[in-house]
Amino acid sequence: MKVTENKIYNPEAECMDRAALRELQDRRLVETVNRVYNNVPLYRERMQAAGVKPEDIKGVDDLHLLPFTNKTDLRDEFPFGLLAAPKSEIVRIQGSSGTTGKPIVAGYTRNDVDVWTEMVARSLTAAGAGKDDIIQVTYGYGLFTGGLGAHQGASQVGAMVIPMSSGNTQRQLMMMHDLGATMLCCTPSYAIYLGESLKELGYDPKEFRLKSGCFGAEPWTEEMRKKLEGLFDINAYNIYGLTEIGGPGVAFECCAKNGMHINEDHVIAEIVDPETGEPLPYGESGELVFTTITKTGMPMIRYRTHDICVLDDSPCPCGRTHLRMGRITGRTDDMLIIRGVNVFPGQIESVLLRIPGVAPHYQLIVDRVNSTDRLEVQVELTDEMFSDTVADVEKLQHTITEQIKSVVGIAAKVKLVPPKAIPRSEGKSKRIIDNRDLTK
Amino acid sequence: MYIKQISVYLENDTGSLRALTKTLAEKHIDMLALSIADTTNFGIARLVVRSADIEPAVAALREQGFVAKTTAVVGIAVANVPGGLDGALAAIESKGLPIEYMYSLNAVSGSNALMVLRLTAPDEQTDVATLLADSGITLVAQEDVDKL
Repeated sequence: MKVTENKIYNPEAECMDRAALRELQDRRLVETVNRVYNNVPLYRERMQAAGVKPEDIKGVDDLHLLPFTNKTDLRDEFPFGLLAAPKSEIVRIQGSSGTTGKPIVAGYTRNDVDVWTEMVARSLTAAGAGKDDIIQVTYGYGLFTGGLGAHQGASQVGAMVIPMSSGNTQRQLMMMHDLGATMLCCTPSYAIYLGESLKELGYDPKEFRLKSGCFGAEPWTEEMRKKLEGLFDINAYNIYGLTEIGGPGVAFECCAKNGMHINEDHVIAEIVDPETGEPLPYGESGELVFTTITKTGMPMIRYRTHDICVLDDSPCPCGRTHLRMGRITGRTDDMLIIRGVNVFPGQIESVLLRIPGVAPHYQLIVDRVNSTDRLEVQVELTDEMFSDTVADVEKLQHTITEQIKSVVGIAAKVKLVPPKAIPRSEGKSKRIIDNRDLTK
Repeated sequence: MYIKQISVYLENDTGSLRALTKTLAEKHIDMLALSIADTTNFGIARLVVRSADIEPAVAALREQGFVAKTTAVVGIAVANVPGGLDGALAAIESKGLPIEYMYSLNAVSGSNALMVLRLTAPDEQTDVATLLADSGITLVAQEDVDKL
């Protein structure tokens, strides 16, 4: 395996003394709280209801006084209700899956795009990126933050960017090979798929110049890291982010490969008890909560990610002083991440409810076959939907598949099952059978 | 002038066809015809039973968790000689009626073979059996099937 040089994009910020960092966070938090209180009705109403005035928040120690923000708030305030800046200052919209059929969107000011770009630049630099690198971006470009996020960060470090976007394995490998890409940005499962396809397509792994990659947008395991590193002879680094907080780069792995540094000069991370919302000490597993302290377009106050992980404040050999978050070990809600796409069962339900004659009895079965996620949606067939001709049944199946693809953004295998084949009233969790083992 | 066919959705799983035959066997239902359309994802079993058995068969199948429904299909009697079916299909073709599917009943009526056809009517108002009335084809109704 090639050795990654320990490079730091912004040492002043990333290696800042923790006391100074705290002061910076205090100041930026106060600014952000005032900004949202004065500009966003929802935040003002919530704070008033909780009896909290902006002047009560003097720093990070007072953070726990502030009410939480949820994904449902982004849905309810869709599209611009949470903007803390005039619409004329917004230069970008990015989006992500909502819990129902509608996506959620986030507005970015010029400042926010710059902040996000800086976070990705730090992430890529930690993975060894510099101006001599050729970075292939295989995340999808569009509303999804992966493609544009990685692109901006790669441009920021002065690398040569190959904006491939997702899909078309043959072309990905051809460009990677012919242009001599040195770094790859994509989901870990697709990276493994590329690695496995390489030999089948007649390439010799030695002909590739790849040295490392930043892989994220879905949870992955140490086992997958080993496999990926072996397939391409590279260093594989984890990168974390979410649209609500900015996008990929909120946290990233350094050469120590032992947790992801959170960009604490831009966000404040907390771990809370998912049930009570009480903050938990570092080292305890709980729900990750973020407060943005430099975003101006759509700042987020105590945003509940529903991701479960542990925060680690022990010193890191790389020299960065920022906290590290461990791998995501689970979710507190029913969101699934399939091939890097966030999927909520509610989205599938909304699709089924719109198709005449279809009963919203369904079950999602997720498997990981050859490192690639497979989603099967089982839908109960009713006498009304059923027809004696193959063409009609296939048309129904096709309609459901297409609608899911259009709303959720991924291809699922639709299987029609007899009525009552899916267990009833055993709680929401029965809607999902996730056979992937993401704990190793 | 129709035959009432029972259509049943079958999952592509081992034992799903057996579950169907077992259900019918337990109710002592005699199948006069059985045809299965198979695709890579699912199958559709189509069967013909005597009038008295239709409701009990559908009820028993639904009871066992099957999706089942009845469909009106056309029955025809064709001379049980080489070219017999061809003559009938030529007549259907001359009427411009597409054939969705076809299968044979496992019984003969005198010197005739009996076939079941699902024909696509040109529009919802058109009655396929009426359209075939002057075609020279011998139509077979559910009452005829009951006597088999």
